[in-house]
Amino acid sequence: MRPAKIPTEELMTSGHLACQGCGATQAMRFALKAMGPKTALVIPACCWSVIDGPFPHTSLKVPICHTLFEAAASTASGLKAGLEMRGDTETVVMAWAGDGGTFDIGIQALSGAAERNEDIMYCCYDNEAYMNTGIQRSSATPVGAWTTTTPVAHYKKRPKKKIIDIMAAHSIPYIATASVAYPQDLIEKFRRAREIKGTRFMHVLAPCPTGWKLAPELSVAMARLAVTSRVFPLIEVTDNGSTWKVWKDFEQTPVADYMKPQGRFRHLTDKEIDSIEEEVDRNWQIMLSRERLSADLPGLER
Amino acid sequence: MGEKITFKSYKEMPINAMSIADMTWNLTGSWRNIRPYYDFKMSPCRLGCPAMEDIQRYIFLVTEKRYEEAWGAIIENNPMPAVTGRVCFHPCMDKCTRKDFDQAINIPAIERSLGDMGLENRDWMKKVDASKKEKVAVVGSGPAGLSCAFYLARMGYQVAMFESEKALGGILRWGIPEYRLPNDVVDRVISQILGSGPITVRAETTVGRDIGLDELEKEYDAIFLGLGLMKSRSLGIEGEKGKGIEPGLEFLKKVNSGETVSPGKRAVVVGGGNTAMDVARCARRTGSDVTVVYRRTMNEMPAIKDEIEEAEKEGVHFHFLAAPKEVVRSGGKLAKVVFQEMELGEPDESGRRRPVPVEGRTFELEVDTLFTAIGEQADLTGIEKKVECEWNMIKTTGEAGETSSARIFAGGDVVTGAASVVDAVAAGRKAAGKLDRIFTSADEPAVEEPKTVGIEEINTAYFHQTKRTLVPRIPVEEALKGYLEINSGFLPEQLEAEADRCFSCGVCNFCDNCWMYCPDVAIVRLEDSYEVNYDFCKGCLVCVVECPRGCISTREEGK
Repeated sequence: MRPAKIPTEELMTSGHLACQGCGATQAMRFALKAMGPKTALVIPACCWSVIDGPFPHTSLKVPICHTLFEAAASTASGLKAGLEMRGDTETVVMAWAGDGGTFDIGIQALSGAAERNEDIMYCCYDNEAYMNTGIQRSSATPVGAWTTTTPVAHYKKRPKKKIIDIMAAHSIPYIATASVAYPQDLIEKFRRAREIKGTRFMHVLAPCPTGWKLAPELSVAMARLAVTSRVFPLIEVTDNGSTWKVWKDFEQTPVADYMKPQGRFRHLTDKEIDSIEEEVDRNWQIMLSRERLSADLPGLER
Repeated sequence: MGEKITFKSYKEMPINAMSIADMTWNLTGSWRNIRPYYDFKMSPCRLGCPAMEDIQRYIFLVTEKRYEEAWGAIIENNPMPAVTGRVCFHPCMDKCTRKDFDQAINIPAIERSLGDMGLENRDWMKKVDASKKEKVAVVGSGPAGLSCAFYLARMGYQVAMFESEKALGGILRWGIPEYRLPNDVVDRVISQILGSGPITVRAETTVGRDIGLDELEKEYDAIFLGLGLMKSRSLGIEGEKGKGIEPGLEFLKKVNSGETVSPGKRAVVVGGGNTAMDVARCARRTGSDVTVVYRRTMNEMPAIKDEIEEAEKEGVHFHFLAAPKEVVRSGGKLAKVVFQEMELGEPDESGRRRPVPVEGRTFELEVDTLFTAIGEQADLTGIEKKVECEWNMIKTTGEAGETSSARIFAGGDVVTGAASVVDAVAAGRKAAGKLDRIFTSADEPAVEEPKTVGIEEINTAYFHQTKRTLVPRIPVEEALKGYLEINSGFLPEQLEAEADRCFSCGVCNFCDNCWMYCPDVAIVRLEDSYEVNYDFCKGCLVCVVECPRGCISTREEGK
């Protein structure tokens, strides 16, 4: 057999309940290819608690513990402790939560687990709103976006919460962002994270054609444009939150190319998009300056 | 496929709320409005190639380092890639989609590399034995004749080639200078073709003079005429016959046979085609000061563009909008040529503007040798009685080179007028195919308009802008010293780099994207293909967009 670009093992099956072109399912499929079968998932209320299928069915070949909206990180911590008690040091426990369960409702539990440096992985697949309950805004919804709770007349005026900064401030050993448009990079980062002890936080942008008012065939293209427009930079933060590495080896594209195909941004004027681009550029520069700063830091093992 | 579980009572339920079955009973294919399906197109380069070489496929095979198969893919349509890779005017490159992104792929250089590998690896050409009773006479051993003989022999027919010269090759041997196509390459290509199957050769036999077409008809089941154009057309001016004026083709023949030639200090070449360029550049190599005089302008020159550029680099001068009017001799030697100045008038039947003389405007050039290269003619002695000819060319009645006489086919320059090697190769192959269908009473293949793709169907996010890999060449000063081949072939790493640039337009090259990005795990990855699992495909069409090369088409369900 011809060598494949990514592992051929499938731990996610067909028949799941995700919408057409769902980025969250791509994220799951890639992540499990990296994690392997010795993985236990903890899924709070989110799209994935529906996608997986109705009781007593599942579309994943790894165990899942469905839990409360606010409890992903704490349930994962407990599950890990339980496995350790039973002498299972091999299985990795990974919380798999949406942006609502991470940025908003689950942030207290996540902050607690990270501060204790619990030996868990936490992946937020971010579709930038409460999608399965009807597209309500979350603190991960980007500035300018329409949602059912930020209608066009009152579109979201506040920027997306900087979750990576928050997590870096917890001094955990590994933080990374990844995109479904770059599966090899995503898989590599999950593999790297799998081997590290302590709290590891992964942030994957998962386009949602339904909530983004986007043609489903463009979901991967949007994920790619989010990266190349620098709206969603691919980064890694290591050395307990101190060393920043930003992926820059791409041909930059305008922010408008990313926003225009999405119906949730349709009401924005070119001027408004320009000011968003300025903000994107500012954040990008801050990211780069952190990278430069951490490169100059003495005495840290990298 | 898993089964859906429905509990009739709580007693059937597991003790914990845990999953005991998978979701594969849920055939999400029923959600689909639009169906994606694999639908490979024909790459535009292939459509641009007169010989229909499967360019995409051999470049793909090069990227996989499967060189023998890549060579085999060319040989299916062209038996002499070592020749065409050197001299073809490569219309494929004008069609290459990559030209709308950065620069077209250097297809001829890749073809040449494979052609040369085919000459090095002699076991790649598997010999075919005679398996059919029919015998075919092929008259002329230029590219058309060689191609026809090769494909007939591949199919097991017995072929007898007739050639009036001692050595085979026609225009390849006598018309193309060694700095473009070394004799050694011609020799090896011909010996490979002759050794590939039941082909016999009768050299120094001119059909129409030494042996009649009637005799051939008795002895053979069919005849293919690939006579070529081996006579230079005359200028039709006074004093043309005599010292100092030489037909370009004869000069090239002398050069290619290694004869010493000395056109003198000042040589003028009349004409604007490939022969004119070849003559001019050969004359430059003897140290002459060479001027090409053409009656139209640079834009109308029929010569291959690269050849014109090379000639300019080598110091050939050009004088446009002029034609010879009169030659002046003194003491039996050519002294001067009087030229008539021309201007462009209305377009003629070729679509080019017709040159017309400007009344009263002439000029003189001192000339030691004047070469004529205004076109070549066929020698149809003994042929025209048997098959209908027109404008001193053989008239064909069908795509495959059928003539007025049943079982006599013709192809190459003798049919089309001066064209190219690749056109002749294509004509020879078409005739061979048609003869096979006649002999076996097979049906004509159905002709379908091939679907192709353009830059709109290419997902350019998967490609980076790069420059075409150029072939290494010797410096002009070196080139002018003799007839050393100017372009050397690709180095292995250059071949790899250039093949990697190919978009593989419209044809799958197993990049895995469709399989990888499918959110529904509904693409099945097989050894040499992919399949859509319509039980589960929800019709999101991510695969269609993420296919970098436009291999997947769509249609509405229920229509």
